Amino acid sequence: MSRQRSRDYRARIDAALNATRQQDALHRFGDAYLEARQLALADLDFEALRESIAELKDEVGRHRQQYIEQFMELAQKAGAHVVRAADASAANDYIVQLARRRGAKLAVKSKSMASEEVGLNQALRAAGVEALETDLGEWIVQLAGQRPSHMVMPAIHMFRDEVAALFGQVTGQAEPADIEHLVAVARQQLRDKFLQADMGISGANLAVAETGALALVTNEGNARLVATLPPVHVVLVGIDKLVPTLEDAMRVLQLLPRSATAQALTSYVSWIRGPVPQEGEAKELHIVLLDNGRSALAESPDCKDALRCLRCGACANVCPVYQTIGGHVFGHTYVGAIGVVLTAFLEGLEPAAELVKACIGCRACAAICPAKIDLEEIILQLRRRIGDQEGLGLGKSLVFRRVLRNRRLFHALLRSAAHLQKPITDGRGSIRHLPLHFSSLTEWRTLPAVAEKPLRDLMPDVEDQVREPRLRVALFAGCATDFVHPRIGLSLVTILNRCNIAVTMPQGQSCCGIPALYSGDRQTAIELARQNVRELLADNPDAVITTCPTCTAALRQHFVELLQDDADYAESARRLAALTYDAAVFTAEQLPDLPEANSRGTVTYHDSCHLKRGCGVWQEPRQLLVKAGWELQEMDRADRCCGFGGSYSFASHPEISREITKDKVNSILRSGADVVAVDCTGCLIMLRGALEKRGLTQRVAHTLELISEALDDAGEDT
Amino acid sequence: MEILECFIAAAGRAGARVVRCLDRTALVDYIVRHADGPILLPPFASSRRLLLAESLRECGCEVLTEHFRAGAAQASAGVTGANFALADTGTVVLDSTDEALRLASTLPNRHFVILDPRKILADGLAAVGPLRVLHRRQSPDFIAFITGPSRTADIERVLTIGVHGPAELHILLLEGISDDPLES
Repeated sequence: MSRQRSRDYRARIDAALNATRQQDALHRFGDAYLEARQLALADLDFEALRESIAELKDEVGRHRQQYIEQFMELAQKAGAHVVRAADASAANDYIVQLARRRGAKLAVKSKSMASEEVGLNQALRAAGVEALETDLGEWIVQLAGQRPSHMVMPAIHMFRDEVAALFGQVTGQAEPADIEHLVAVARQQLRDKFLQADMGISGANLAVAETGALALVTNEGNARLVATLPPVHVVLVGIDKLVPTLEDAMRVLQLLPRSATAQALTSYVSWIRGPVPQEGEAKELHIVLLDNGRSALAESPDCKDALRCLRCGACANVCPVYQTIGGHVFGHTYVGAIGVVLTAFLEGLEPAAELVKACIGCRACAAICPAKIDLEEIILQLRRRIGDQEGLGLGKSLVFRRVLRNRRLFHALLRSAAHLQKPITDGRGSIRHLPLHFSSLTEWRTLPAVAEKPLRDLMPDVEDQVREPRLRVALFAGCATDFVHPRIGLSLVTILNRCNIAVTMPQGQSCCGIPALYSGDRQTAIELARQNVRELLADNPDAVITTCPTCTAALRQHFVELLQDDADYAESARRLAALTYDAAVFTAEQLPDLPEANSRGTVTYHDSCHLKRGCGVWQEPRQLLVKAGWELQEMDRADRCCGFGGSYSFASHPEISREITKDKVNSILRSGADVVAVDCTGCLIMLRGALEKRGLTQRVAHTLELISEALDDAGEDT
Repeated sequence: MEILECFIAAAGRAGARVVRCLDRTALVDYIVRHADGPILLPPFASSRRLLLAESLRECGCEVLTEHFRAGAAQASAGVTGANFALADTGTVVLDSTDEALRLASTLPNRHFVILDPRKILADGLAAVGPLRVLHRRQSPDFIAFITGPSRTADIERVLTIGVHGPAELHILLLEGISDDPLES
């Protein structure tokens, strides 16, 4: 089952990678969205607002029973019929029976993701009721027999010529592919349907417990017609849309449109309380409060934050994976990062099993989410659950359990690789081609060779130039610096020695464990965390310095979390976290002013995902580079992922990585800089490899290497 | 009048046309010049005060005051008041519990909204007070926040005005008609 599922998923990725028009559209959209959103948020304190939204949504999650009852009581008092639906079939049954009772033949719908989730249209069709979508994008998708590929812009994957062809089938004549004309066709074709319909069906963006009112947030005006014109209005709304008070509702309204479409407010917000009067017979309002997995999500300690979601779609808008393969592949009913989580809880682990692996872990979603959901972390938790259920796959499981947990074996293997690779390296430390079935890994990038001597062997030879150091720090090199780019570690020693700081590299340190953790092998990660905590604190250093932001995050956050229930290690893990600094931050603090020097040339800085969004560091490396005499020329979207993602680009999704890297290389070229500075060994491997393979001459270097070179030159001058 | 300037700017950004009317005659004249066909005129306080139906008919306009479902197909405009407005987003707030008000503001291609600038509040949070009172006063109810014309970007993200609702939103500012957020 799971093997067939993986094959289908691979095939869908391949098809999406060939849909270059969709990729272009999603990229253009992503760029325009970020700019417009920034303008729309200019006068607001985004962090404070999203914090307050997280709080109010958590309050509802904790006391949902109370808010559900309060809402039901007040909505019923206003004359609405309110029912609770435990799952999809309960919701569909209620609405289908209502349609039967009313003898309904035609239902007009405004956009409702909840109705997509439960498959309401299919249920109504089976009962002989036509459910007609009236939101323009939803109507297009319905005519095409597809599902939405974005929560806010359902037809973002389609183009005007395709829409014209679909509308032509409705009108029976050729329709010109002119957008204004096509919108007019929709208005004309659907207007009569609103007036003829027996039922209107909508979702709701808010259900206000204090008043029993629903709020519908829309732009086209179809929801107002759906609510007004037919004699029956059915609202299918998830219990996660509850807010306690009107003030809370207003807070959500401050961020929802700004995050969804970069509007200060949508054209219409309709507050509906009870069945409002209409000409002729009495109006009926039916509210179906949908659970369908939401309570289970609220009860999940690791994932419950996802219930805060406002359905704005921002996480998809900024996601490099979504931009590359679109919502039909990276999503189910709900798309993008939140789609992965909602699919798992609302539709089941099976449809989510492949999706959890598609996240590259860049944290762009977590940074932009207006409800402050740490989507990356939740996806990791889900990956673990699915890993527990399905196993990791034999290869991975062997590597993690047998090799990674045994430092001597792991390092011995890395050392032997340095000898084995000799026939395929190019003399510059790169692997340009790999034989046999590994060749796809070097089709579009070179790979770094394993260094002849790892940093751990070079360190004892470094002459310690500091006689009476002010501080003694321990270097946590991480596998890439240790075995692939030892120069980075040596650069750090040069720089810190210049600051009168002694650097040691505890020999018992091993992999930080993140590759295992991200692949769902928590036990291996825990064992590595223990080992590293023990080794790094053994000599009681004043600080622990890392040269890789993923390792920084491991030492500062993950170890603490992994070892929190371990009586022997919890306290030490917290102490290590407090002592750990990223090299750029530490260096920026310690390095004295340098003598004025000639410009060293132009540099553009690539923000590593885990340094900027994981550790909140982006200014210090830039300051260091400028201080060292580099002229900074920013690239566009400097903080967009480079496509590395650890095993994502080597094993699980190299074909998606390739596209994301291509975007980054193009940004680098447009910046016009001679040198690209990075602070992450993963980014270094990825970008150096991609530039080399394309025969480009721009140099990619770790910030520490550039600073150390500047110090060396300054030392020679004086 | 900083709040008024803020409202005018925000409504303009949202695509509404905001017109400051010197007096009743100027307001009637504006509607007459821009309606371009039959007008749906539901009952509301400011309209009664301004004798709007009579004035528009005197100027030769065709004015419908009932049976809007049947009349909407021919109507080219609807005229309503506003209970109050929000400066930061350029929003007009209309208690549209009366179906006639809802139809006049949703079905025709043009929507004229009469607003006394004294009723402009700062933002959504400032609207909570009057919203609560409106909710308490009547049940059931339907309150509409209207910000600019109907719009879509569903085809290739190209902003297109006027899908299922009015393509034009004209906000006519006239001082001295009402300072009560509970009436429109």
